[in-house]
Amino acid sequence: MDWRKHMTTYNGHRPPGWPLPHGVIDRFWQEAAHLHAVMDTLRDVFRAWGYTEFIPPTFEYADTLNTGAGPFLQEQMYRFFDRDGKTLALRPDMTIPTARLVGSKLFDQPFPQRFFYSGPVFRYTEPRAGLQREFYQAGVELIGVERAAGDGEILALAVEALRSLGLREFRIVLGQMEFFRGLLDALNLPPKEAEALRSALDRKSAPELQRLVSRWGVKGRAREAVLQLPYLHGAGGVLKQAQNYTLNARMAAALDRLHALEQVLDAYGVTSHMVLDLAEVRGMEYYTGITFEGFVPGLGVALLSGGRYDDLVGKFGPPQPAVGFAITLDRVLRAREEQGIPPTSWTPHLVVGGAIRADTVHRVQRLRAGGRHVAWHYTADDRQSLWTYARAMHIPWAVWCDDPVWVWHEGREFPLPAGDEWSDHVGER
Amino acid sequence: MSPTNIRIALAKGRLEAEARDLLTAAGLMSPHDRGGRALILPGAEPDVDFLLAKPADVPVYVEHGVADLGIVGLDVLREGNYDVYEPMLLPFGHCRLSVAVPQDRVDAYHSLRLNPNPRVATKYPHLALQYFHARGVSPEIIPLSGSVELGPLVGLSDVIVDLVQTGRTLRENGLVEVRVILESQAVLIANRASYRLKEARLSDIIHRLQRVLTDHHTT
Repeated sequence: MDWRKHMTTYNGHRPPGWPLPHGVIDRFWQEAAHLHAVMDTLRDVFRAWGYTEFIPPTFEYADTLNTGAGPFLQEQMYRFFDRDGKTLALRPDMTIPTARLVGSKLFDQPFPQRFFYSGPVFRYTEPRAGLQREFYQAGVELIGVERAAGDGEILALAVEALRSLGLREFRIVLGQMEFFRGLLDALNLPPKEAEALRSALDRKSAPELQRLVSRWGVKGRAREAVLQLPYLHGAGGVLKQAQNYTLNARMAAALDRLHALEQVLDAYGVTSHMVLDLAEVRGMEYYTGITFEGFVPGLGVALLSGGRYDDLVGKFGPPQPAVGFAITLDRVLRAREEQGIPPTSWTPHLVVGGAIRADTVHRVQRLRAGGRHVAWHYTADDRQSLWTYARAMHIPWAVWCDDPVWVWHEGREFPLPAGDEWSDHVGER
Repeated sequence: MSPTNIRIALAKGRLEAEARDLLTAAGLMSPHDRGGRALILPGAEPDVDFLLAKPADVPVYVEHGVADLGIVGLDVLREGNYDVYEPMLLPFGHCRLSVAVPQDRVDAYHSLRLNPNPRVATKYPHLALQYFHARGVSPEIIPLSGSVELGPLVGLSDVIVDLVQTGRTLRENGLVEVRVILESQAVLIANRASYRLKEARLSDIIHRLQRVLTDHHTT
């Protein structure tokens, strides 16, 4: 029997293709195994650092999610109606549900509280740079620690998480929103102009900044501070350089805070992965302190992002400082492929065919109990078709239980020597 | 994107010659690599090469990181809303994205708001729509990929939104420019990840381009 013929025809016809909505994909075989392996690795790392799991609902009241989401994220939410007419929405991230949980249910429990999560989130955007409308995130939130030590733990954990995934030469770009907010205080700009400044900085557009300061007539040290901001990034010496451009206490405090953080990061030994960038102004409606993004060679987009959001829990209950990050797993999968990290195995180790007898079943069960992945193949009529199946499904071992027993391993077959146990012959991959 | 090599995407066509001149002057491109149909050209330095692409594809390559840098017009960049850095404006490719109307119907623009559904022919549907929406006008956008000036002549549209360099094409087709939507010129764009991961090499390239431009202005 030719398995290909069997797989691709149905009553003599190719089965019809069933369309999937734009923005969702089937994950199976290699892709599914890879996603779960990555998730398992991260969950182990998060647990090792004392984080416990939170499994938020997939959907909840749109109003609740709106309370925590900025206008940009609100626009991207999938909304639908409950039977009683209330508007529901799919979770666009896991941070908002975590803030709701802590603010509304766990507010009187001891702090700090540490949560990790992993699973799909949903955003109505054009699929771009490896992200579908349903995509997977894993991340952590540390709630109740206002100090730089909390920022440091989260950054060190981000480094450890990326390391655990086998990724090399990654960089975490670290910003501090308070430095920019201090600059905005000093410039005293109307909201529209402040947004123009934020947008120019976000694009690292030095010419645009020139144009803005000339238009506003900003002079002296303030002018220098704005024009130098896009250059205040790099691995070392940035903090010292930035001291020359502080215009008020808020900007100075932001630098002090970064200085304290630097010492924590030093203690963790992760400074070599960090790049400081004081012009990092992404997610301003959300973050209140540090912000960061993780990049790896081979991937043109960030695969990790996070920061401090001390205002979020307070929208749902008594305020609590909080800091955390999320890793986009779909991008991790792509980055690992780009970096040539060997793919996760997804097939069983062994497929067994032939007569089902008590002694064979017993051996299969013993292998399974020993951690091997063993599948039965009931419909093979002879050992050749079992080998064909094993080869097509990338299963390294196959055993044909007849008299004599035949063993197949990656293209070679041999009869089991008399007196041998076949379960001793099927080795690792 | 390989971690050590630098790939620069260039927009073919309008900006190409001046972009090549600039890169050659900065010592990044060799002067004799002209013409030909190759889409990937070696650079003057071993770790740099160039990718020639349709203008609208340049920001796509850079956003996805298959090119680290790109040279493209602001018109193309703003039309697509790409997530890239724009560290440098380049002093060529100056033009305007403008609204133009037939000469004999100049007042047509001013009565646009009285027209519940004006027809706008353009190669820039996103920017055109954004411009009119911001003014409370809901136009019907007719996306064309060339010879937009034909629109009003053949009765396809009431106005056009198109690039104007000297204004000659408009005049020859009996059109007048009535509003400027965007002042455009060439811009150097950078991938956000490359900007961090290849920081030293990219800032070296940016500084060399800047030096060519300042030398050029002072001499």
